[in-house]
Amino acid sequence: MVSLQNMLTPAQRQSFTISITAFLASLLLLALVSILVLIVVRGGAYFWPSPIYEAEFYNPATASSKTVYAQMRVRTEESGSRVWQVSYSDASHPFGTKTLVEDHHLNDRALATEAAQIDLQDGTTVFARPNHLVTAGGTRPPLSDYEENKQQVMALTERIEEIRETYLSGIHEQLAELDIRDVEQDAPARLRLNAEFAKWQGQTRELEQQRNAYQLDVTFADGSHLQVPLADIERVNRVNQQSWWQKIQMVTSGIWTFLSESPKQANTSGGVFPALFGTVLMVFLMTIIVTPFGVLAAVYLSEYAPDNAFTAAIRVSVSNMAGVPSIVYGVFGLGFFVYTLGGNLDDLFFADRLPAPTMGTPGLFWAALTMAILTLPVVIVATEEGLRRVPDGLKAGSYALGATKAETVLYTILPIASPGIMTGVILAIARAAGEVAPLMLVGAVKFAPNLPLDGEFPYLHLDRQFMHLGVLIYDGAFHSQTDAKGASMMFAACLLLLVVVFVLNILAVLLRTRLRKRYLL
Amino acid sequence: MLKLFEHETLDVSNLSDAETALEVQDLNLWFGNKHVLQDISMRIPKHRITAFIGQSGCGKSTLVSAFNRLNDLYPGCRYQGSIYLDGRDINHKKENVSRLRTQVGMVFQRPNPFPMSIYDNVSYGLRLQGVRGRRQLDDAVESALKDAALWDEVKDRLFESAQILSGGQQQRLVIARALALKPDVLLLDEPTSALDPLTTLFIEELMAGLKKRCTIVIVTHNMQQAARVSDYTAFLHQGRLIEYTDSDTLFTMPEKKQTEDYITGRYG
Amino acid sequence: MRQVAINTHISGKFNMELENLRNSVLTMGGEVEQQLVDTLKAIKQNNAGLAEKVILNDLKVNSMEIQIDEECLRIIAKRHPTASDLRLIMTISKAITDIERMGDEIERIARLVTKNKLPPSDTITSSMLLIGERVGAMMRGTFDAFARQDESAALSVYDQDNRIDSEYKKLLTFTTSEMEKTTEDMQDWLEVLWALRSLERIGDRCKNVCEYVVYLSRGTDVRHTPLESMQEKLDLLS
Repeated sequence: MVSLQNMLTPAQRQSFTISITAFLASLLLLALVSILVLIVVRGGAYFWPSPIYEAEFYNPATASSKTVYAQMRVRTEESGSRVWQVSYSDASHPFGTKTLVEDHHLNDRALATEAAQIDLQDGTTVFARPNHLVTAGGTRPPLSDYEENKQQVMALTERIEEIRETYLSGIHEQLAELDIRDVEQDAPARLRLNAEFAKWQGQTRELEQQRNAYQLDVTFADGSHLQVPLADIERVNRVNQQSWWQKIQMVTSGIWTFLSESPKQANTSGGVFPALFGTVLMVFLMTIIVTPFGVLAAVYLSEYAPDNAFTAAIRVSVSNMAGVPSIVYGVFGLGFFVYTLGGNLDDLFFADRLPAPTMGTPGLFWAALTMAILTLPVVIVATEEGLRRVPDGLKAGSYALGATKAETVLYTILPIASPGIMTGVILAIARAAGEVAPLMLVGAVKFAPNLPLDGEFPYLHLDRQFMHLGVLIYDGAFHSQTDAKGASMMFAACLLLLVVVFVLNILAVLLRTRLRKRYLL
Repeated sequence: MLKLFEHETLDVSNLSDAETALEVQDLNLWFGNKHVLQDISMRIPKHRITAFIGQSGCGKSTLVSAFNRLNDLYPGCRYQGSIYLDGRDINHKKENVSRLRTQVGMVFQRPNPFPMSIYDNVSYGLRLQGVRGRRQLDDAVESALKDAALWDEVKDRLFESAQILSGGQQQRLVIARALALKPDVLLLDEPTSALDPLTTLFIEELMAGLKKRCTIVIVTHNMQQAARVSDYTAFLHQGRLIEYTDSDTLFTMPEKKQTEDYITGRYG
Repeated sequence: MRQVAINTHISGKFNMELENLRNSVLTMGGEVEQQLVDTLKAIKQNNAGLAEKVILNDLKVNSMEIQIDEECLRIIAKRHPTASDLRLIMTISKAITDIERMGDEIERIARLVTKNKLPPSDTITSSMLLIGERVGAMMRGTFDAFARQDESAALSVYDQDNRIDSEYKKLLTFTTSEMEKTTEDMQDWLEVLWALRSLERIGDRCKNVCEYVVYLSRGTDVRHTPLESMQEKLDLLS
């Protein structure tokens, strides 16, 4: 019988083993590197300004050609034909649209030096050639006065916001209260408030009109004009004229926008700040909840629990809990925390607001709690491992100095086990930050109007729904089929999620290293 | 007749109460079904060094651990009989074990300083006692380290980690940690088996100096060590106290054949 | 030459024990020395009372030997001495045997006085006293060399024995010729001969102790070696 053993010399067998294991290890490394490269390249592309072309293409649907300013990317289909992804604006689609153009339909393509990418506040983009400014007085200052005019617009915007916040919202609340108390429509108080409301509203309208008189006049490739209110403009980038330094500045400000602003246009542009904030806050809350629970449970299991079959059974089930699919936790969170626990809390404490649920609806706290349950086994197992590593000699030393069991656990065992505990917390953080499925059931939403933390009492709104990077990516992935820019944003969000997990991990690892150094045995 | 050499020996089989630090009466101890200590009765003299020798598993460490009730930590440990310290039975149910352990200090085989600073190690026991005053702690730490002959080596780095000390220094630190509580009895469970011979001698010399302060009980695998340091030696075999007398006699003219066989390295 | 440094052990108690042990040997040596001085005095004065005291005192020397031997045993059992410490203990253990024997020889000489069997000839008595002085000096030198662990002092003491031997031989010839003149009291003469021989034996015992001192400081056994080759041997080593 021919076997491997007979065929190869021992040296060959060894090098064969080494080759196989090394090959598999490098395969794994390759997979990791390609994930990283893909995410970094595609995510980075979101921020890098692409040049604007003046393109002329034929549209078979209308059987006509048109000339537009556009950002273009070429893609080769499986069939081998090349297809252009074109983002452009023209008179019929002034705020940008996207289309696919087959290579043979593209008649002409040339860099458009004068054209600019004009990002609007609402997340849309206009590709056009800026001509001049228009002011309230009908004058036409040159483009160089852009900043000055923009300042005036912003001053007006501020004034409007001020009126809204100080007067309008207050009156609105009072009106709402009158509604709750079922005050007559023609009650004097209501009439007085209505009048005041109308007065301030009139003022804002006036200011808005004033503001909207400042405009930017642009020309599309086909020669048609458009006047864009300055108030709506976020940024004007003349991409093709930019130097490297300006491009880097633009990228930086793009990253800043991405990090600091809310999503626009159904999560396809703008920033991801609420999602980033929601992710970090949820992970933070989860850590606060899971660490004491996990550590105490592990301390009980390893130090206090009698050494019997029951304890062993608990240990096994804790380990098994780590393998339960996360969606099951989501369903549990929804069924138990949100409906049962939250519902009962509503009955007990927020009965006056029923049937509108306060706690009985998915929210930040339930999400954090669900994630805490989900990561509990990880923390318990790692902590127990850490506790087991505490030498018996040290425990005996502590007892021999008259320490009670609790004192020994507190002053000797836990500090020494802290690197182990940190390992558990790191794993828990990594897992919770990346989890999506259960979160969608218990509190994470595609778009939340308010942050869970703001200046309004009680500042931290545990009952609010929140945004989460993972959910954002999931949402982005669903809408990315045709939407090139949205897909880029999804990759950018992925990159950010990686960075968040990475940063959280680095922090925890640094902390653990410090602890290890301190409690080196 | 002229006496050239003075060797004071007490008759340990007939000690007066005033000379006794610990009195063991009919101690029996079991781990589960294993009868580890059988009918041990002995008196340990005050301010002397008493050594326990015997083979591994003869129960000597267990006997010493009975003196500060450290055996309580092991599940399945039962005991009968009495151990008197200061006239009270420490095996009594109502004995305050924490207090007992401050009265009866213990040092283990492997140096086990806590992973904290030298200062915190020495003040650990006092802090547990509720001593919080900085001055008080400073003084106690200094005098304990001096008693353990470690002060000069560490006085400039009291707040550095105890882990950087050498093995011998660590063991002396552990001794200082126990001494900080001013114990009446100091139990040393093979205190030098993890140390090199010279460091061992330093620790032994330290013990000889310490017996002025407290009664010392040492468990050792090393018969030579028992011979060198101890005033009295007890030989245990399979849970029984075979012979207990002054070390001069035990190491020159043991009464029992088992003792003779053990200390001369013969098959028992 | 290497001093055996007794006081440098880590264990202070061990230092003390060794120091005590050495001092006890010197005390014992001093005692024996005093015995010899007293004996010579008793002979000179024909003082039977003093001689009686010497004989009684020998019991003290004997008990010292036993005590020191026990202490050596105890130290070996408890301290497990090695190298120079071990040599010291072994040297002491052997030396005290010789010192005790010196005491026995002295006792035998003292008996001469108590039994009133001093040699009838004054010449013999004075020669005997002279040799006795020399032996006393040698003894002092020996214990001194031991106390200082001085091997050159030991060697020079070793050398003195030759003179004692030759004087002993001369006195022996003279005594035998005296014996031939008188025919009676053969028994008494024999006692005198024994006493003379005892004196000579003390010198030999001193030589033995000196050899131990050399062994102690050198670790070289120089017993049964003629002096010349002994010197050579030591020169070779140093």
